Amino acid sequence: MVFTSVVYFLFLICSLVVYYLLPARFRNYFLIAVSIFFYMYVKAAYIFIIAFIIIANYFLGNLIESSHSKKIRFRYLFLSLIINLGVLVFFKYWNFAVQNLFDLLGIFHIYKPIPVFLEIALPIGLSYYIFQTIGYITDIYRGSIKAENNFFHFTLFTLFFPKLLVGPIERANRFLPQLSKPKYFDTENFIEGSKRIVWGLFKKLVVADRIAIYQNAVMASTNEQSGSTLVFASILYTFQVYADFSGYTDIALGTARLFGFDLMENFKQPLLAKNVSDFWRRWHISLSSWVNDYVFNPIALKYRNWGIWSVFYALLISFVIIGVWHGASWNYVAFGLLQAIALIYETITKKQRKKLAKKIPVFLYNSISIILTFSFICFSLIIFRSEKFSDAENIIKGIFSNPGTLFFDNPSTLLFMLLGCVGMMIYDIQKEFKLPQLSFFTSKNWVLQQVAYAVLIIYILLAGVFDGGQFIYFSF
Amino acid sequence: MKIFNKLKRKGLSQFTLRFFVFLAIIFVLDFSIGRILKSFYFTQDSGLLFRTTFAMDSTTAQMLIFGSSTANHHYEPHSFENRLNVSLYNAGRDGNNIFYHFAVLQGILIRYSPKIAILDFNKLEFAKNPDSYDRITSLLPYYETNPKIRSIIELKSPYEKYKLLSKIYPFNSILFTVAVGNLDVNKDRKNNNDIDGYIPISKVWKNPLSLDTPVLKYEIDSNKVKYFRSFITECIKSDVNLFIVVSPRFIKYTTEDISIALAHEISDEFNIPFYDFSNDPYFLNHPELFADISHLNQNGAKIYSNKVIDKILDYHP
Repeated sequence: MVFTSVVYFLFLICSLVVYYLLPARFRNYFLIAVSIFFYMYVKAAYIFIIAFIIIANYFLGNLIESSHSKKIRFRYLFLSLIINLGVLVFFKYWNFAVQNLFDLLGIFHIYKPIPVFLEIALPIGLSYYIFQTIGYITDIYRGSIKAENNFFHFTLFTLFFPKLLVGPIERANRFLPQLSKPKYFDTENFIEGSKRIVWGLFKKLVVADRIAIYQNAVMASTNEQSGSTLVFASILYTFQVYADFSGYTDIALGTARLFGFDLMENFKQPLLAKNVSDFWRRWHISLSSWVNDYVFNPIALKYRNWGIWSVFYALLISFVIIGVWHGASWNYVAFGLLQAIALIYETITKKQRKKLAKKIPVFLYNSISIILTFSFICFSLIIFRSEKFSDAENIIKGIFSNPGTLFFDNPSTLLFMLLGCVGMMIYDIQKEFKLPQLSFFTSKNWVLQQVAYAVLIIYILLAGVFDGGQFIYFSF
Repeated sequence: MKIFNKLKRKGLSQFTLRFFVFLAIIFVLDFSIGRILKSFYFTQDSGLLFRTTFAMDSTTAQMLIFGSSTANHHYEPHSFENRLNVSLYNAGRDGNNIFYHFAVLQGILIRYSPKIAILDFNKLEFAKNPDSYDRITSLLPYYETNPKIRSIIELKSPYEKYKLLSKIYPFNSILFTVAVGNLDVNKDRKNNNDIDGYIPISKVWKNPLSLDTPVLKYEIDSNKVKYFRSFITECIKSDVNLFIVVSPRFIKYTTEDISIALAHEISDEFNIPFYDFSNDPYFLNHPELFADISHLNQNGAKIYSNKVIDKILDYHP
C-alpha cells in the first residue's frame, strides 16, 4: 500500500474514524489490527517473520531484565542479536555473501561446490524494524530502559504501520511511553498531521516523481549523454532522493500524528548542511543516531586508548554499516567508506577550517561550505545509485569527457521539476534560517495559511505525477 | 466514550468552520482553474494535444491512420491522397497503444465512418505493462466530452472516476504544454509542423543493422487483446476497410514476436488484411531510409507509404 495511493487514503480515513469511535482502552489493540492488515496487504506471508521477531525480542527483553547475572544477561543479548541479525542476513545478505565467498575461493583456486542462491524477496521494512528491536534489546541490556511487560504495547512498538515500512527507526524510550497515554481526538494533531501529509505528497509527487521521469530518460543511456546532462542529473538525483525519502517520512509522521503519536524526525534540512558530519546529523537521523549510539560510541569508547585512531576506526565501521544497511552490494560499501573518509578528513582539518572561517565573512564561508558539502553528497550519490562500479565510472568519465548540450525531452518536465525543487528548498531555507517573509505556511493569519495550503494542494493536482513509482527507500 | 476530551464546544465549532472554509477554498480553486484549463485545452490550434482533439472531434478525412510513433512518422499523406484519391488524417500519437487508438476510433465513429483505416501494429504491443495503463492519461481531458471512451479511461484504475471529480486532474502535468499550444509561436516550432497529422523526420541513421534480442515469452494483456478485437469489430460494423500493418524497423528479427503472431491470427479470423514489413529486406538494406532503429525518416516514409498503397490496391483494385 503506497502512501501516495488512493487505497492508502481510504484505509487511513476508515482507520481514523473507527479509531476515534472506539473506547480509548481499545484503541491500541485496534492499531495493532490495522497495522497487521496494512503489512499483510503488501504480502501476507511476511507477517510470520515480523511475528517471530516480536515474540523472540519480547521474551528476550524480559529475560535480560529479570536476570541478575551479567553473564546470563549477555547471553540473552547475544541470542537476540543472533536472531535479529540472522533473519536480516538470511533475507538481505545471503546471496551477496555466498557470491563473494565463492569469488574469493576462486581467486585461491579452491574447489567450489555449487553455490546455494536463494530466490527470496526482502520482506519490506525488515531493515527498519530489525534495527529498532536491536536498539530496544541493547537499551535493556545497558539498563537505560525497562523491558516492556505489555506484549501488545511491544507489538505495536514494532508494528505501528506509519513507521513500519520505511521508518523512522523509532527508539523505545520515545515511543513506548506514548502507548500508555490514552489518545483522544485533538484538533491540533489533526491540523498539524494533515499539513505534514500535504507536504509529503508535494515532495513525493511533485518533486521526486517528476525528477524520476528525467532520471529514467538519462540513466537509460548514460554513455550517450553529455557531461552537462550527467552533472544536472546527478544534482537532481540528490533532490530526488531527499524529496522521496523525506516526503515518505512527512506522510509517516503526519499519519502518526493523526492517531495522536509523535514519531522522531528523520530530516533537518540536510541539503543546507555546512559539512559532511553536519549532513549526517540532518539526514536519515533515526539511522545515523542509531549507528552513533549502538556502533560508533561503543567502538570509540572501547578503543579510546588508541587516541584519535579510535574515532577513525569507529567512523569506518559505522559508515560501512550505514552503507551496507542500504543493501547487499559493494557500491553501498563504497558509499559508506566515502562518507567515512570525508568525516576523517573533517576531523583532521577541524582546527584549520576554524581558523579559515575567522578570516572569511560568515555568509561567504557558510555559502561555500553548503555548496561544497552539497557537491560531495551529489558525487557520493552517483556511487550510491549505481548497481555496478562500471556504471558509476561511466557517469564520472562522461561528466569530464562528453561535451554537449543539456538534454531535456520535455520542457514541461524541466519546468515542473525546477519549480518543485525551488518550492521545497524555499520551505527548507525558511525553516533553517527562520525567515518570516517566506512563511505563508506558518502565518498566524489562518485565512492566509489556509489559502497557502489550498494552493499547495492545487499545485499537487496540477504538477504531481500520479502514475509514479514506489518510494526509493522501500527497497532498503 | 471520550473522543473529543480536549475540545470545548467553541473549539470544535471553530475547527469545523475552518475545515469547511478550507474545503471550499480548494473546491473554488479546483473548479475555476480546471475550467480555465479546459477552455485553453480545447482552443489549442497546434501541437500534440491539439492533434488528438482534432482527430476525435473534427477530422472528416476518408482515410485514417492509427497507431503510435511508427504510425505518426511513417504514413506520408500526399502519396495516399494522390494514389488512392482520398483525404487522409494521421491520428497516430507517440508512445500510445491500443487503448488510445480504440478511444480515438470511438470518438470518430460517433461522427462519421471513414472509408479506409490503417492500424499500425508494433512488436510487444500486447505485452502486459503497467506503463500502457499510465498512457491512458492522455485521454483524461476527453472524459467529460466523450462519454463513449469513459470505460477505457476507467481501465487506468478503479478510482479514476473519483479522481476525475477534480476539474484540474484531467489537465495534470500539461499546464505548460496547453499554454504553448495556444501560442502562435508553437506553429513555427520544429517537429510541430504536421502534414495532416503526419510528422516527417529528416534525420538519417548511420549505424549498422541491429540484431533483435528476442523476447520469446511474455505475459499477454487480455485487455489489450480485447480492445484490439473491438477495434476490428467496430470498423467492420461501420463499413471501414481496415488494414493492419507492421512497420519496418532497422532491426533484424530472428524470431516471430508473439503479439504480432496473435494479431495476425485475429486479423485472419475477421478476414482483415495483415501486412508485416518488419523483416522486409528492402528496408533492412537501406539504413539511409531510417531516422533511428524504430523510425523511418521522410524519404523512408515515402517509399514505405507507396509499398502500403500497393498492398491496398492489390486488395481493393
